[in-house]
Amino acid sequence: MLNYIWLFFIIIALVVGVGKDINDEVRNTYRNGTPLEVILISSQVPSGTATRCEGQFYLTAKQFNDFYGMSSQLEDVKQPAVLSLLQNKTGNFIFACTEETPVLWKDMAKSASGKDKLTGKIEKIEFSDDHGWAKATIVMESIRFVKLKAITQAAIDFANIAVEIAIGLIGVMSLWLGLIKVAEEAGLVKVLTRLLAPITKRIFPDVPPDHPAIGAIIMNTAANMLGLSNAATPFGLKAMEELNKLNPKIGTATNAMVTFLAINTGGLILIPATAMAVRAAVGSTNIGIIIGTSIFAAGCATIIGIIASKILQRLPKYKREMVDDTKKSEEMNHG
Amino acid sequence: MADLFRTVINFISILAIPLMIAIFLGWGFFKKVRVYEVFVEGAKDGFHTAIRIIPYLVAMLFAIGIFRASGAMDVLISIIAPLTNLIGMPPDALPMALMRPLSGSGSLGIMTELMKVHGPDSFIGVLASTLYGSSETTFYILAVYFGSVNIKNTRHAVPVGLLADLAGMLAAVFICRILFGV
Repeated sequence: MLNYIWLFFIIIALVVGVGKDINDEVRNTYRNGTPLEVILISSQVPSGTATRCEGQFYLTAKQFNDFYGMSSQLEDVKQPAVLSLLQNKTGNFIFACTEETPVLWKDMAKSASGKDKLTGKIEKIEFSDDHGWAKATIVMESIRFVKLKAITQAAIDFANIAVEIAIGLIGVMSLWLGLIKVAEEAGLVKVLTRLLAPITKRIFPDVPPDHPAIGAIIMNTAANMLGLSNAATPFGLKAMEELNKLNPKIGTATNAMVTFLAINTGGLILIPATAMAVRAAVGSTNIGIIIGTSIFAAGCATIIGIIASKILQRLPKYKREMVDDTKKSEEMNHG
Repeated sequence: MADLFRTVINFISILAIPLMIAIFLGWGFFKKVRVYEVFVEGAKDGFHTAIRIIPYLVAMLFAIGIFRASGAMDVLISIIAPLTNLIGMPPDALPMALMRPLSGSGSLGIMTELMKVHGPDSFIGVLASTLYGSSETTFYILAVYFGSVNIKNTRHAVPVGLLADLAGMLAAVFICRILFGV
């Protein structure tokens, strides 16, 4: 299943990316090579044969929308830019995107030659008599294959992010695995498992109730409920390692593992710490009102997840994947 | 009442980890465990576990990364939007629900954006933070957890995870509509 979903993401990404790029090409979304008339507001007085001049490109929202054939730009465009002019007639310009830059230009800048900067040619420029402003005709650099470039960038970036996340886990993993080991040796985990045995026996019938896996599962769930994601992952991975010791078919998920992941992805929670922190940062007057709703939604998700795992594990397709090799390994043990 | 509640929660999140360290090590010392040696013994596995998940994480994050970059999400949203309108889910909140199982950082960004635009205490703001708070990044967890024990055949884990996510989403819309809906 994960096979197909994984392939689905990649194929859909490529198909949609190519489709959008072809669409851009046909509609000429970025008006490649088309001259655009703007007003240059500049207090500087350019002189000499080759000059550098700073100013603002100005055009009204309507002019911008008409030029690009859209309607989403609401405010007049005021874009700071740097120009280098030859004899005050032609030249080049470059600008870096700011907060106020139109979204379309920001998108163009993302796949332009310079990172987050757009360049272009000035075909014609006429300074007014008082040099406070000028009429300019500009042509933006050609922007092509925006989505394919973005896909290329994302593929490389996310491969790096994956390694960064994994490397970042080493420290907390080691810390918590060390602490768990001490708790195990001291018998603390056993106390926990015995306390919750009546529940865990029902949810994980394949796992002996005093198995270390149950202890790790309980600690993982507790950490998740308190919103301690730093501690939850090491506990969870410890639980997987212990569950894997009971796995008759290495490389294949057991029923207990899937049930455990159902509880985990269901996101059982008491304190949604991150969401509450963001609410506070955005200026909520009542950050806590989502606690009740989150507990309810996560509770429903977890219950449905557990039920679904119990039902689906009975399906012949999934049963076969597990059973085949159990028999084989039994035969090997006997023979 | 609300203040007391918030203080208690703050207290728990600040105290939880120091308390766990104190109990684990204190209990170990009390039971005459050679705490330092045992700690180091356990911590040894941290490096290998973290390194073991790299290929799984690269495969998963790269696929989701290019899926987001291609703009396929917008296409998916326009296909699903008519369905979610039926259950009374505002179209603005749909990207949040779809992104949540795929990407933690992506959905965090969407939640923040939604709350800035609509206000954190509006219906959409509450729904977005409930969707975020009540769920986990399913595909990340699948990759990391199964990757750590080299499991390639995940059997029914993906359908179970997605069913749970769907149930969570419906439950979030339901409870938010009842309590905060207009």
